[in-house]
Amino acid sequence: MHYENMQADSAFGFDGTWQDFAKIALPNLLLTIVTLGIYRFWATTRERQYLWSHTRFVDERLEWTGTGKELFVGFVLVMLLFALPVFGIQFVSQALVMRGYEAAGVLLGMLPLFAIFYLTGLARFRALRYRLSRTRWRGIRGGSNNQGLGYGVSYMWKTFVGYLAIGLLIPWSMTSLWNERWGKMSFGPYEFNAHADSGNIFARFLLFYLSPIIFVVGGVIAAATGGLAGYGLGGEEGAGIGAMASFFILAIFFYFGLGVIAVAFYAKFYREAVGSTHWEDLHFSFEASTMDWIKLLIGDVLIVMFTLGLGFIFLSYRHWKFMIENLEASGDILLDDLTQSTTKTAKHGEGLLDAFDIGAF
Amino acid sequence: MESSFRTPAQWYDGHNAIRHEGEALWDGSGTLSLRGFSSELTLPFADLEFGEHRGGEMVYRRASEPDFRLILPEDLPPGLAAKLPEKKVYGGWIDKVGLGKASAAFAAVSVAAVALFLTAPDWLGPRVPHSWERNLGDAMVGDFGNRLCSTPEGDAALAKLLDAVDPDEQQVRAGVANIGMVNAVALPGGQVLLFDGLVQDAETPEELAGVLGHEVGHVRERHVMTALLRQFGLSILLSGANSGVGDTVFGLASMGYSRDAEREADEFARERMEESRVSPLGAARFFERIGGDSEAEEDSLVGWVASHPAPRERAKAFRKAAEGKTFAPVLTAQEFEALKSMCEDDPDVEEFDFFF
Repeated sequence: MHYENMQADSAFGFDGTWQDFAKIALPNLLLTIVTLGIYRFWATTRERQYLWSHTRFVDERLEWTGTGKELFVGFVLVMLLFALPVFGIQFVSQALVMRGYEAAGVLLGMLPLFAIFYLTGLARFRALRYRLSRTRWRGIRGGSNNQGLGYGVSYMWKTFVGYLAIGLLIPWSMTSLWNERWGKMSFGPYEFNAHADSGNIFARFLLFYLSPIIFVVGGVIAAATGGLAGYGLGGEEGAGIGAMASFFILAIFFYFGLGVIAVAFYAKFYREAVGSTHWEDLHFSFEASTMDWIKLLIGDVLIVMFTLGLGFIFLSYRHWKFMIENLEASGDILLDDLTQSTTKTAKHGEGLLDAFDIGAF
Repeated sequence: MESSFRTPAQWYDGHNAIRHEGEALWDGSGTLSLRGFSSELTLPFADLEFGEHRGGEMVYRRASEPDFRLILPEDLPPGLAAKLPEKKVYGGWIDKVGLGKASAAFAAVSVAAVALFLTAPDWLGPRVPHSWERNLGDAMVGDFGNRLCSTPEGDAALAKLLDAVDPDEQQVRAGVANIGMVNAVALPGGQVLLFDGLVQDAETPEELAGVLGHEVGHVRERHVMTALLRQFGLSILLSGANSGVGDTVFGLASMGYSRDAEREADEFARERMEESRVSPLGAARFFERIGGDSEAEEDSLVGWVASHPAPRERAKAFRKAAEGKTFAPVLTAQEFEALKSMCEDDPDVEEFDFFF
């Protein structure tokens, strides 16, 4: 066994190195370019094989059994079942407008937008299902017997209701969707269940929600103060410069400050969501603080900037490592009872998710 | 070479999560024996598949038992290693030919595919049957209903003008669109529209004959189909680049022709006008006007100028075509007037407020 480099005190550990990952990611990039992007399905698979196999859960490594071919098939299916009809609808709606049925044409043209809204939720569900069903631990996999069609509907109305009450129900829609999604997943014979409570993250959300108002009020006071200070130093001209400088500082603060507060909310949400997720007698927790997330994101930006963009190939590595290093689990697993999952597996990959370009977790 | 040996091994049966530990024994035959406290198994080598190479270990699967996993140390004796399935890195035949050669082959195929894709409109466009284009055009733009101006006298004048520049048995469909812009377009399906703005701007019927001939030229030389295919390809490329769907650009209005296509259309117009003894001087004057230095005029003509070759050059070509020839007027003053007042006199013409 080769677990010397792993954090032995944690249930999860990661022992990959970016140098080894580069040996996978760089040829992947080359092959993706020369195949006009088609290789990216196989590239994703190879990256995941590396990341999964360098991830330890308790005393055994994970294994990724997905294939590039099934991702490719998923993509082709989405193109045939979704992109082509959307293209056709655009054609018909344009033709309707051209013939004077403007209202019908515009209405028909909006249909794909609704479809995308529904499919976003469906895609998120199915991507999670796909990833669990292709993850092996001690030969055992996860999955779900649910197709996610109902989740797509939930996603639509919960997201809608979340924004309805001037956005105050967004934390509820986020936790409730997390609970619903994970509640339908299983690994081996056991189901996951999640009871994330939006009450626990509401204070953080209010901070995010109210801060723009505080910023503006504070900003006006600051600008006035700056203007006065400028007046004291350099008369009327000084007042102008002072007020300008204050506004400038305020603008920077507004963008970065709001960004930081958004991250603070997200960090809290993630701790609450993962921390209330269970799998039989095992419960999970996520340790990343707001500062950890900020460091991750600033690191991402710096890496991409200083490599003139090439560094983007390491982002999936960094994010996976971040997730695993902050993920904890405690409780008992009875290996004798941990039998193979009987859930159905889809033959195709996460085509929808790929088409909409969103993350699974 | 050793013909038998034993090595530590771990395996999972794929039915539960219990790890079996023991030894893998090989006696030189076609099978591998696994011996442990909790499990004993004999596997034919032919049933084994390569799984992955991870941190000092090799993982093998069984074809007959998809979730079975056999984990062996990576430093196996060469005799056994030769019996086990080969390691895969990139998968498929990339491993066989090597990364360099595979990349070169992919690149060659990709370059050929891109070249084919980019040039497809030029060689495919003219080969699309006229009937298909007509059907496609009808599906896309229809007949514009009541948005085209129509009076009996105006229609007759327009038909006469069209006869002069489109002698074909099956003529293109021409109409005057109720739009104030100085412009004219050729649409899929052999439809040509003169905008009322252009009709009002024209000083002689010969100017209109020139412009109409030019647009008919686009239809006859299959430029419309070519441009349509190019637009179509572009929308595929754009939707592929961001791998998102829903924001395909499919704007007829943004359809443009190459300068060569514009020259070809001009040439077509000149040839037809010569056959019908229509003076090309009208068209020449039109181009002189839009290429002229009067700012107000340039402003109103910006739509036509932007997508076309230098007007002075074109005017010169039209002027040259007139040298040493005599012409007959293409329309009478009365007919020209009927064409000019067509939109005003049509009692139930509708506005064209969305399209161009």
